[in-house]
Amino acid sequence: MFASALRSAHMSTLREVIHESVREGELYEKLDRNWVRCFACGHCCKIPDGQPGVCKVRYNRGGTLYVPWGYVGGIQCDPIEKKPFFHAHPGALAYSFGMLGCDLHCSYCQNWVTSQALRDPAAVVGPMRVTPAELVLDAIRQGGRVIVSTYNEPLITSEWALAVFKEARAAGLVTGFVSNGNGTPKVLEYVRPWVDLYKVDLKSFDDRHYRQLGGRLQPILDTIKRLHEMGFWLEIVTLVIPGFNDSDDELTRLAEFLAGVSSDIPWHVTAFHKDYKMTDPENTCAETLMRAAEIGKRAGLRYVYAGNLPGMVGDWENTRCPNCQELLIERYGYLITGYFLAPQGCCPSCGASIPGQWDPAFRQQITARPFVPLMRSQSDLLVLDS
Amino acid sequence: MLPAGVGPMAYIIAEPCIGTKDTACVDVCPVDCIHPAKGRTYDDGRPTFDEVPQLYIDPTECIDCGACVPVCPVTAIFPLDDLPEKWHAYVETNKNYVDGGRFQPGKYQKAST
Repeated sequence: MFASALRSAHMSTLREVIHESVREGELYEKLDRNWVRCFACGHCCKIPDGQPGVCKVRYNRGGTLYVPWGYVGGIQCDPIEKKPFFHAHPGALAYSFGMLGCDLHCSYCQNWVTSQALRDPAAVVGPMRVTPAELVLDAIRQGGRVIVSTYNEPLITSEWALAVFKEARAAGLVTGFVSNGNGTPKVLEYVRPWVDLYKVDLKSFDDRHYRQLGGRLQPILDTIKRLHEMGFWLEIVTLVIPGFNDSDDELTRLAEFLAGVSSDIPWHVTAFHKDYKMTDPENTCAETLMRAAEIGKRAGLRYVYAGNLPGMVGDWENTRCPNCQELLIERYGYLITGYFLAPQGCCPSCGASIPGQWDPAFRQQITARPFVPLMRSQSDLLVLDS
Repeated sequence: MLPAGVGPMAYIIAEPCIGTKDTACVDVCPVDCIHPAKGRTYDDGRPTFDEVPQLYIDPTECIDCGACVPVCPVTAIFPLDDLPEKWHAYVETNKNYVDGGRFQPGKYQKAST
């Protein structure tokens, strides 16, 4: 009884903050009877007066859609390789910010403290009020060259992300979304002028799986095609979960779809570790990850990377020239251990042009954060040792 | 006790819907998984809106978002875990509508996690 009272107290406080930190959205239309239709994500919620959308953070009050504004749920400066972007400004620090809420509810979410804050009382996080100018100043102070909307789903907080990105552009920063890809044509047109880099987490190639996570497959595939056509710099990541999405058949269909959009899209297959409510599957082993990477190559993708298991996946952390196999960028986790790409992103050996957004020269890599992913097994061992 | 094999069903429409059929739930559902919708006919021969006593949620289409729950004017929709015991029969009722009275358990085996 006490615990549930505490939980509801927390939820109501959080709701109050969320309901104060809003402004009228731009991604919606008014319907009759004071209903609205939101276009921020693929759900395209029709929302009656007094209710929120599926994301719980965009809500209708008196026929006006209010959307999150003026706060962050989390900020951190990391190597851009952690996002992961491997073909955009290698070595740059990416300043990440997120708000609260998500249009999906994945049981293995690794950012569930912020994404599920309004659904799950166990997800406790304190939002901080900020202005776009303050965020950009902090990004620059910390050495960020890229600024990324991530942690929660950026599409559902696009209005705020654009306010931040307009300041960021003026300050010379590169901008990016790290997203589940559940978009609409309208939201992509809305963000296109202000978003340079776009990462989509393609979680499965099975519509039944997506419905379990709270979405549908088709809007995500449509979004991936559109992102490529519209000229965002696009990279795809798939968290490979044993027994959930790691069958040869599913991975092959997924990779063939991506190769059909463009064989130049980098595909990151990354290792799952037990999190949130998904604790049954085993953590992904290196063999499974390398099998997934092989499938990507066979499907015709030219840049396939295996992530989250540094030093355990052979050559799959590195970028090689697809034409002459020359080693172009060598990595260990998020750390760049060798950079041989010629200016303008060309292979120094055969001159082939490598797709991506490259700096004229590698500017070395600095960070206060670790260059390898936090691995549960390692931290468990540390506890045992002490 | 709930009937066996209902794991994948997220939400159930129960007795208060009978005679109400308000359809606010149909309007808010982002994936159109509440049936039968007004004016819609179905290829598989299921009864249409005027022929049924209540609305039903297709568990294979539902994405577990919960948007339908607060808009129901008669509080007829419940997450499976919160369904009052007296209405547990409505689990089977929902499934039966979707399968035209021939419930196929295999259809409800969403891929395991």
